[in-house]
Amino acid sequence: MKTGLKGLDPRSKLVLVLCLSTLGVFIQDIGILTAVLCASIVLSAASGSRLFVLIKKFRRILWLFVAIAVIQSVFAPSGRALVNLGGIKLITAGGLYKGVAMVLRMSIVMVSATIMATSNSREIVQGLVQWKVPYEIAFMVSVAIRFLPLLTDEIKNVVTAVQLRGIELDRIPARQRLKVYSYLIMPVVSGAVIKSRELATTMETRAFRAYPKRTSYMVLTMNRNDYAVITTSLVISILTLYITH
Amino acid sequence: MVEPYIELDDVSFAYERCAPVIQALSLKLYKEQFTAITGPNGSGKTTLGKVMTGILRPQKGRVIICGKDSADMKLGEIGRRIGYLFQNPALQIFAPTVREEISFALELKGYSKEEIDSEISRSLKNFDLVHRSDAFPFKLSRGEKQRLAIAAMLVNKPDFLILDEPTTGLDMERRRVLSDILLGLKKKGIGMAVISHDRAFVACLADRTIRMYGGEIVEDRT
Repeated sequence: MKTGLKGLDPRSKLVLVLCLSTLGVFIQDIGILTAVLCASIVLSAASGSRLFVLIKKFRRILWLFVAIAVIQSVFAPSGRALVNLGGIKLITAGGLYKGVAMVLRMSIVMVSATIMATSNSREIVQGLVQWKVPYEIAFMVSVAIRFLPLLTDEIKNVVTAVQLRGIELDRIPARQRLKVYSYLIMPVVSGAVIKSRELATTMETRAFRAYPKRTSYMVLTMNRNDYAVITTSLVISILTLYITH
Repeated sequence: MVEPYIELDDVSFAYERCAPVIQALSLKLYKEQFTAITGPNGSGKTTLGKVMTGILRPQKGRVIICGKDSADMKLGEIGRRIGYLFQNPALQIFAPTVREEISFALELKGYSKEEIDSEISRSLKNFDLVHRSDAFPFKLSRGEKQRLAIAAMLVNKPDFLILDEPTTGLDMERRRVLSDILLGLKKKGIGMAVISHDRAFVACLADRTIRMYGGEIVEDRT
């Protein structure tokens, strides 16, 4: 039996994730953002997510984070100039501050989202349905969750297929590499369209929406832990937002 | 003594958080042989093919390709030597037209327009895809996708081919054509390993048959 955060109802996890990402979006102070990120990491690890696998995977796109921080810094200059290039303020203290804040925000959203990944898509749909979200919309959410790893697999397959044609991606010129990457889009998009058409047909053959009311074999029940997590998350988030704004 | 083209030395592989699919497997594949790899579903044939091609990296043991440890080789480098046909050919098709699918690698490798055009024409003819040359590859039938994937793989002129269930989706006539093409390639000295359930197909081509069960080789017959 799952205990603590691992055993939470998906609705409680959803509230927790919404609170963390809302704080991430609205808070401006780097210190508080760092604290929210630390809390997200601790909560994600406690919920049994595969956070460290994700961090390992994201190591490869670390440069993207650095690039975002620098671009943000360049296009939103303020305060003391840290790097000057021909009289143009390239990196400023204020710009860098905003850039770091942006990276922290993105990290909070991504890390907190891993908490949701600890519930399966069926549980999430059921949670939404019990919250009176129309089944069709809840089902769309679950399909989106289910399709994401498939899209990732599709991209991996194309990259593998390209390399198996004897192309070493890191050795070809940047212009050609860009062309190769443009090839990734089509199989992924057409694959998604084909899969969604097949899914629609399959759903119709199983009489999806044939009857106005649906019953569920799975029924979720919230316990004291769930109510405690929901209340604490909401209270802390509202208080933090109230104090910081 | 002939050197093996692909050598697996005590190789084990398991998918993440799963039981091992291949266990302590050692195997030598020669360019001069047409090897058939057979076995029931789940016996590890496809995984073995992917490990041999470097798509999957073994957790234990070494895969040596042409005398070089595949751990030190990039997939692109392996791809220059070995052609791999996926069980589902749709997974290795990505260009917007059949013609571009075939010319993709040649363009990146700097072939001239004349060379590319001649190679495309030959491939389209050999694989009976002339009438589909400007078609969107995703709209091809399963058999056509299979032929296109093989054609795109062969323009790369690999030394060794690993084909995973190449006869799936092919009718009797197409199987005969594929069989003729593979025999032609064999005569040209291209090594081959065919993973297949189709005993009749491999029986008339294979010099060596390996049967797998539970991730292990249970029979190796020449």
